[in-house]
Amino acid sequence: MIRLAWWLVRAQFTTRRMATALSMLAIALGVALGYAIHLINAAALADFSQAMKSVQGEPDAVIAPRDSAGQVPLALINEIARDADVAIIAPVIETRVRIDNATMAVKLIGLDVFSAAAVTPKLLPRQSDRVAGGSVFEDGVYASPTLLARFKLAPGDAVTLVRGDTHWRTRIAGDLPAARPDDLLLVADIAWVQARFGPAGGVSEGRVRLASGVRVGNWLGAWAGRLPAGLALRAAEDDSARVSNVSRAYRVNLNVLALVALLTGAFLVFATQLTAVAQRSTQFALLGVLGLSPRLRLWQVLLEGLAIGVPGAGLGLVLGYVMSLAFTQVIGGDLGGGYFSGSAPAILPRPAPALGFFALGCAASLTGALYPAWLNRIQPLAQALKTGFAQSPPSGGAAPRRRRWLKGAAMALVALAAIGLTRLPALFDLPLAGYAAIALVLVLGIGAAPPVTQIVFGALARLRLPAPLRIAVQNIVQAPLMAQVAASGLIVSFALTVSMVTMVSSFRTAVDQWLDVVLPAPMYVRSKGVPLPRELLGALAQPAAPFEKVERSAAVSLSLDPQRPAVALLVRELDRAEAAARLPFTGAVLAAPADRLVVWISEPMQQLYRLAPGQSLRLPLLGREVEAFIGGTWRDYARQFGAVVIGAADYVALGGRFEPTDLALWPRPGEEAAARTWLAKFTADYGLEMAESGEIRKLSLSIFDKSFAVTYALEAAAMLIGLFGLAVTLAAGVWLRARELATLSALGFDRAMLTRAVMFEGAMIAGIGLVIGLACGVAVGAILTHVVNPQAFHWRMKLEIPWLQVLPGAALSLLAGIFASRFAARQATRLPVAQVLANAQ
Amino acid sequence: MLTITSLSKRHANAVQAVFSGLSFSVQAGEVVALVGESGVGKSTLLNCIAGLEPADEGSILVGRQAQDIVRLGEAARAALRASSIGFVFQAFHVLPTLSVAQNIAVPLLLAGVAAGEHAARIEALLARVGLAGFGPRWPASLSGGELQRVAIARALVHRPALILADEPTGNLDPRTADEILALLLERVREQHAAALIVTHSQHVAQCCDRVLTLTPEGLQ
Ligand SMILES: Nc1ncnc2c1ncn2[C@@H]1O[C@H](COP(=O)(O)OP(=O)(O)OP(=O)(O)O)[C@@H](O)[C@H]1O
Ligand SMILES: [Mg+2]
Repeated sequence: MIRLAWWLVRAQFTTRRMATALSMLAIALGVALGYAIHLINAAALADFSQAMKSVQGEPDAVIAPRDSAGQVPLALINEIARDADVAIIAPVIETRVRIDNATMAVKLIGLDVFSAAAVTPKLLPRQSDRVAGGSVFEDGVYASPTLLARFKLAPGDAVTLVRGDTHWRTRIAGDLPAARPDDLLLVADIAWVQARFGPAGGVSEGRVRLASGVRVGNWLGAWAGRLPAGLALRAAEDDSARVSNVSRAYRVNLNVLALVALLTGAFLVFATQLTAVAQRSTQFALLGVLGLSPRLRLWQVLLEGLAIGVPGAGLGLVLGYVMSLAFTQVIGGDLGGGYFSGSAPAILPRPAPALGFFALGCAASLTGALYPAWLNRIQPLAQALKTGFAQSPPSGGAAPRRRRWLKGAAMALVALAAIGLTRLPALFDLPLAGYAAIALVLVLGIGAAPPVTQIVFGALARLRLPAPLRIAVQNIVQAPLMAQVAASGLIVSFALTVSMVTMVSSFRTAVDQWLDVVLPAPMYVRSKGVPLPRELLGALAQPAAPFEKVERSAAVSLSLDPQRPAVALLVRELDRAEAAARLPFTGAVLAAPADRLVVWISEPMQQLYRLAPGQSLRLPLLGREVEAFIGGTWRDYARQFGAVVIGAADYVALGGRFEPTDLALWPRPGEEAAARTWLAKFTADYGLEMAESGEIRKLSLSIFDKSFAVTYALEAAAMLIGLFGLAVTLAAGVWLRARELATLSALGFDRAMLTRAVMFEGAMIAGIGLVIGLACGVAVGAILTHVVNPQAFHWRMKLEIPWLQVLPGAALSLLAGIFASRFAARQATRLPVAQVLANAQ
Repeated sequence: MLTITSLSKRHANAVQAVFSGLSFSVQAGEVVALVGESGVGKSTLLNCIAGLEPADEGSILVGRQAQDIVRLGEAARAALRASSIGFVFQAFHVLPTLSVAQNIAVPLLLAGVAAGEHAARIEALLARVGLAGFGPRWPASLSGGELQRVAIARALVHRPALILADEPTGNLDPRTADEILALLLERVREQHAAALIVTHSQHVAQCCDRVLTLTPEGLQ
């Protein structure tokens, strides 16, 4: 029995090589995409948490200020150290410095060598033999091997560490043997770092190891009430959770794309197997006569589906692995999402996920084979032997009109459900309801194919068409299954393409307009997190500086929720009166009561923390809780985890130190060139970065385009699959009608006439598919733009349907569809008439 | 081998029954011809006997165990066909994607005959139908007469108790038809099987042990 099944599978593969290979490839593509995303992401996450562990060590808990400008007082560190439940607390100072005047800033970590040995062993320094005498940490800084290589430094070299206006002349005393290859860092004694760069009387963090037997949760609970307002104590585990939350929505989105690829694979298997069943109906009937049971006829088709799925999924795993290697080498571990930085993480395939993706590929192809297998099982033997494939089960039961009515009601329900789903909020922070709504829209589109085909071709049948066309039309009216399948494939693929194009174009238009507002100045200077030198700021204040206006800003990060990434606090020179003109507000800007502090929150911030203008927001600022009035919400496509703008004057009034890191510069009219040369001196001396707004804009848009480039490839793949489905099903339809066509030839129709008839049929089906697909695509695009995007990334935008891309795309697809039907027609007219007529009784 | 009692059949959407109250039997080793006008229901009767179409009333006992195919489920009917019935059609109905030998092997596989026996049985049978050495060839390269011999070999290879043939020679020229028929009868008798052969040819009918004529009123 197995032998027979194998013979049939092999025969099927050798007679339909092209269709089988393409279905296999489509399955492979879906599996490969999903698996690659999984591998890259797992590697990036592992890499990230390892990087974090190497720098942070493995403490049980961390005490840190909630405001990145704040500090942990030494007194508190000492108090915690005296707690009997604490084994050890390691105070740490982290800051960023430049080495000499390099453009890149690196991390400088100040450690206490005794506690560090227990908590952050990976950061322990090794003194170089070349450096004379003294004990570890006596003087000098220790650099990670990568840093030494990058800056071409060696132990013993003299270096100047620069932060703002502070310079520390020191030397490289040795290296950090346990540092990871990606770590670009310097380590020095905490007292030395504090003496040079501060903060006086405090440290950046305390990393706590608890005595054995103490439960982290209990200990945190005991301390929570006793901490000053600006400090937070968190379990170190929260950090890993946060890391994985960071990229979750992005990851899920990519996985949905992979799922779509897999579904198109399932569709191809469906089209291939359906036509295979139709073409072999007499053979299967014969096997049934010889004693092959109905169940085995069902299994045979499923087996053929599996025979496509197993090699396809296997190939997919290999492809996915290769893709993940290529991606991490070329783009890095964040898939262009910008969440993790650093070098390529190591890809490590494990058996369980690989098996999972393999099973998914097999399941997809089995799903595709399900309906064809069932049709094959229920074929009435005697009839199939006499007249071939029966498209639908022998009908019975409800009257046609009632059935039509029921179908209409079911479709209305599906439409209502889809609309309802778009109103639901995010589930687990993910736009799951939105995805479900998209699936329903596609179901609706596919469901619309049969009635629309019936109506269009029914109407055509009543027209006075030339005989060959009339015969083609009549054929579809009588046997619509193949036409419906072909149309469904096009509906789904065109809908996905249109929706993707719509979403990307809406997003791009929004980003484009947003850049106009957020880049008002012609020139920008930034120093990447290190305060700008006072010399530059002083020179800018002089009347001789060729600038009409200068706006300075700084950024601090605030931790509002230990489970979420920190929020950016942007300190800008902004008057509360002029805020409305300077930020891209999404709605009304509220005037704050004069005696209250006002801040303006970004759109993601509003969504993530469920805030609204007019409410008050408590910010952990400068060591205390500060209450601020929310004056409005502004659009931000740059910081997905939220941002708050505060006026520099207000910040200073609260006691904050305004140390600008970024400048927006308006040169005096006509003095642009002079302004550039004036700045060049500073940028060279201090390793600053200068850019003109045009460049920033171009760069931002090119990054945008690059990160969406992969969607174009997917769109092309989807359209190819849809068109291929059309060709396969049309060819099968023609094959099924071989006898009819041969009879027509014998009656005197010439080849050209038959070709035209088949092409006409293809054009009509493609037209129906494209029109329904367009409608579904616009609906799905709207859901992606208005539901999925805000829920996944917390930003909103206007829907922009790019008709200039969509309509030519549709026309091109129609042409391709007609071309595909030409291929089918050629097959038909090549059939040897005499043989067909003689063979088929 | 085949016992039919008060068999009735009406097609799903038809007003009139094709036949009703048919009763007859065919003994082991007996070859019976079934004749009648076109459209009278000969093919329908054969299909009912093979369980390809459901009968409405009556019973059809088939094979050495005399199982009633009318009362069997779909899967059991398929199993009964695989073990006890050989079928030859007017159109050759050979699987085009399997070689000649593979085509003939299908009933052996379905009947669960040990794989070791296949090659010898197929070779022997091919020789008996005059196609020695045709095993590895593909159906597309055979003539109509040769294909019908393959179909006959396939109907006999698993030594079924009952052979049903629906105009097995209708497609062939008279000389080839005679040869093929002689071959079929010879093999059937050799295997001591029962056979029911539908035919329009007087000549064929004369070669059979008994002739049944189906008319709209019943069997004569
Ligand atoms: N599926 C069907 N549905 C309805 N009526 C059918 C069906 N199949 C056959 N018939 C009718 O049943 C009758 C018997 O058909 P059958 O094929 O058994 O005739 P036959 O005796 O084999 O004729 P021939 O000698 O021409 O082959 C015919 O009148 C035919 O029209
Ligand atoms: Mg007949």
